[in-house]
Amino acid sequence: MSNLNIGGSQLDASWFLLLGAILFVLGAAGVLVRRNPLVILISIELMLNAANLTLVTFSRQLMNIEGQLFALMSMTVAAAEAVVGLAILVDIFRTRDAEDIDDLSELKG
Amino acid sequence: MATPLSPTLSPEGRGRKPSLAIAVFFVAAAMAVLGGIGVVAFHQPIRSVLSLVVVMLSLSVLFLLLSAQFIFAVQIIVYAGAVMVLFLFVIALLGPARELGRGRLRFQTWLSALFVLVLLGLMWAMLQGVQYRQPDSGVSLSFFGTVQSIAVGLFTTYLYPFELTSILLLVAAIGAIYLSRKRIDDL
Repeated sequence: MSNLNIGGSQLDASWFLLLGAILFVLGAAGVLVRRNPLVILISIELMLNAANLTLVTFSRQLMNIEGQLFALMSMTVAAAEAVVGLAILVDIFRTRDAEDIDDLSELKG
Repeated sequence: MATPLSPTLSPEGRGRKPSLAIAVFFVAAAMAVLGGIGVVAFHQPIRSVLSLVVVMLSLSVLFLLLSAQFIFAVQIIVYAGAVMVLFLFVIALLGPARELGRGRLRFQTWLSALFVLVLLGLMWAMLQGVQYRQPDSGVSLSFFGTVQSIAVGLFTTYLYPFELTSILLLVAAIGAIYLSRKRIDDL
């Protein structure tokens, strides 16, 4: 039942889900390991993309358009998150040189 | 003059190069994973951003395989086009920052590796237990995922969430303008 007939060949839905899981874990590793706040934002984008892949895969497997609509919504949220996150980052970089996320741990101006 | 504009395919395209889709999937998946590793591994942020562009482009190919044509176009235009260019602008604005030195937290790398392995195992266990439902019948693949089918869902059943996203974008734009304004005491 998880077989997807794509262009006449059989692809399994679990392949797409596995790829989404791998990308999500890579993004989580980036958030944990990297120290530059900008790269942490980039890794969050990677995780959101992996979630989108999973949504679209289930949408195709169920032949139900709602998964794709949800992916569209999550793209909107990702764009808004990137805009606000980058604005905060630029504002922080104006007052101090924050190449390391640990420099921002004081939570005061 | 009677040449058809589009080649006549059988509805499922059965029998035409049966392994092409599988090859496309594996190439795109390998590129996505390599790009994801690049996002984490490169030390310069600009290389991480360019790796993420690779991931997004290969994911857009996978969206096309999953017959999500509209999501494919949006992924390229909005994500790889707009959001990534925003990231590149910010990097160009802030200058090249290299990561150097270690954090204050000791054993951070090892703790992260442990957490990542646990997360991967958890994901794997979840994938083993996925119960696939019978697909909805009565939807044809020639209609599924087109702009028309997306729009029907977006403007009928999900009109209210769709309007709410426009408010979300407005709030994000106002917030970004407010955060990046020139302060009075800076003048």
